[in-house]
Amino acid sequence: MSAIASIKQEIKGYHMFIKTLMLLVAAGVLAAAARFIFGLGTTTNLSDVYPWGLWISFDVVTSVPLAAGAFVLGAVVHCFHIKKLEPLVRPAIVTGFLGYSLVCIGLILDLGQPQRGWHVFAYPNLHSPMFEVALCVMSYTTVACLEFLSPVCEKFGFHIPLRLLRTIEVPLIVLGAAIATLHQSTIGTFFLIAVDKLHNLWYNPLLPMLFWISAVFTGLAIVIVEAIMVHRYLKQPDETELLATLTKIIPWFLGIYLFIKVYTLFFLSARPLFDRPGLTILFLMEVVLGIIIPLIMFMSKRIRTDSRWQLRAASMVVFFGLVLNRFNVSMFGLIQKDQKIYYPSFLESVVTVGIIAAHILFFALIARYFPIFEHHPEEVDYSIPDRFHRIEKHPVTEKTI
Amino acid sequence: MSATRDFSQDRTFLIDMTRCTGCRACQVACKQWNQMKAEKTVFFTGEGYQNPPAMSEYTLTKVKFRDYEKNGHNQFAFYKEMCMHCNEPACVSVCPVSAFIKTPEGPVVYDTKRCIGCRFCMVACPFGVPKYQWSKALPLVVKCTGCYSRLKAGLKPACAKACPSAISYGSRTDMIQEAKRRLAARPDRYFNKIYGLEEAGGTSVLYLTEQPFDDLGFKHVTKRPLPSLTWAALRFVPGVFLTMGGSLAFISWLTHRKDRLRKEEEAKKSATIQPEEGE
Repeated sequence: MSAIASIKQEIKGYHMFIKTLMLLVAAGVLAAAARFIFGLGTTTNLSDVYPWGLWISFDVVTSVPLAAGAFVLGAVVHCFHIKKLEPLVRPAIVTGFLGYSLVCIGLILDLGQPQRGWHVFAYPNLHSPMFEVALCVMSYTTVACLEFLSPVCEKFGFHIPLRLLRTIEVPLIVLGAAIATLHQSTIGTFFLIAVDKLHNLWYNPLLPMLFWISAVFTGLAIVIVEAIMVHRYLKQPDETELLATLTKIIPWFLGIYLFIKVYTLFFLSARPLFDRPGLTILFLMEVVLGIIIPLIMFMSKRIRTDSRWQLRAASMVVFFGLVLNRFNVSMFGLIQKDQKIYYPSFLESVVTVGIIAAHILFFALIARYFPIFEHHPEEVDYSIPDRFHRIEKHPVTEKTI
Repeated sequence: MSATRDFSQDRTFLIDMTRCTGCRACQVACKQWNQMKAEKTVFFTGEGYQNPPAMSEYTLTKVKFRDYEKNGHNQFAFYKEMCMHCNEPACVSVCPVSAFIKTPEGPVVYDTKRCIGCRFCMVACPFGVPKYQWSKALPLVVKCTGCYSRLKAGLKPACAKACPSAISYGSRTDMIQEAKRRLAARPDRYFNKIYGLEEAGGTSVLYLTEQPFDDLGFKHVTKRPLPSLTWAALRFVPGVFLTMGGSLAFISWLTHRKDRLRKEEEAKKSATIQPEEGE
């Protein structure tokens, strides 16, 4: 059988869900091609009044914190050495790597002159938050890629690179966490310049710090959601007990976040605050559904250790708190009074749906072909090797996708 | 940002809207000098009698019309929209590839060869000046350059040259003095404020009007130079990076050392048996 025929055969065996995802990704690719052929003006609803739309608000500003699981969990497991959480690290790194790669794709689509991306290095401007984020996202994607290379090398039995990767594993995790701290917070710095545009409910000088803290608990929440989903739909072992350790960390960060948010709202924000009912409702939804209720849920031990409640609380944090917060800051809060409202065009939405589908699809495929979940650290010697001998492959268990 | 730079000699526009007749010669001159395409427009799509409805990739300056009632009579107010050429421009500070430059003469110019099209300048500009070529597949930003090329040749900007009555052009100090003189001479005629004197830390375009600025649709802009707002956070970047990286490196060194010591201990205890790895 030729290679193409065997690939066809393989795809035929996939679950309907995977096939649907593939269709969505293909639609996204077509829509992205349309953007380059017909231009941003005709394919999107962006205008001089709304220079940043769905692609920036979701594909960049929201995706970056959603991919924060890799750096947070990496730091928790490798730096604070909570070794038992090790089985969660690899899926988180895959999510992070995929997330950042897709952020880069989102950026390329949104930039007017993507072929000039290297200008960031050629003509740097240290005063620009965008320069800082561009540099960080590029270097972090590289770091995440290196972290992701471990399972790839394991799969193909490249033992020398694997030993090398293992040697630089901890430095990479430290570097990744430091870089991620910078760009997660600097995305908040973006909006500090929009002083008379962003509504007072969100504009405050501590915006970068709020962005970083929310990225930390979002990263952990995403790890929880992902682990439970993977247990349910990819027939992986139940990690509820391990997740209970993470659910102990989350309420601390949620609490600090809530405290700073309330403090900045009343002491550092300009007045008037509640002059626009639409924005007030969005703000309350974000705070109550996305922070306060999950915080209360995570504070109860019974809920922290039950997988169904873990999932509910974590997904509330993510979908109501984080996603709404980023949209509020980067889209809704920037809408001025009496301004025409922006809504994404059909093609813009298709691209974004395609990017989300690509993330889920690639995750499922990587989980199918690479040792992401079979990785058990207790069987692996982590000490730095004195010689380069062949590493035995782990037996790959049968999976159904 | 060059916070220490002296802006008093910057070339500055003083636009006295009480003297503006709404002839739009500035609009036409700007289009001609910059060789901008005409826009197909429909009347009454904007706020009033103005056309085109807004500044765009083809229109770098535009006269806005406002009608209002005074002593029972209908009156017109005009407002020439253009780049304000801020002393410390937000667009210059946020551009990741330094495509915007505040020239020593005053105008803020834009290098089309550097721009990557991220549109951060459009988000950052408090006056909504930079416009984008929405019609193109690989678009660039477009903005008023204060006719920098004419300035270099010793000429006045096209709009200032074409204007029969309202635009004065000169050094920033002279223009501020002139504006203050006019305000003091005819306090009944003017609304007592020079727009642009302190807005966004001061601009190279100053306005005088008869109507309150809010009524004319002038944007409310903070008096603080905008670059200082992001710099307040960005200056911590190296510190945050070193602190975060350093403390995590130290913590992981500590935890791994503990682990290594424990392993060595175990190895010593069971010297004859192969050391086993702990949980």
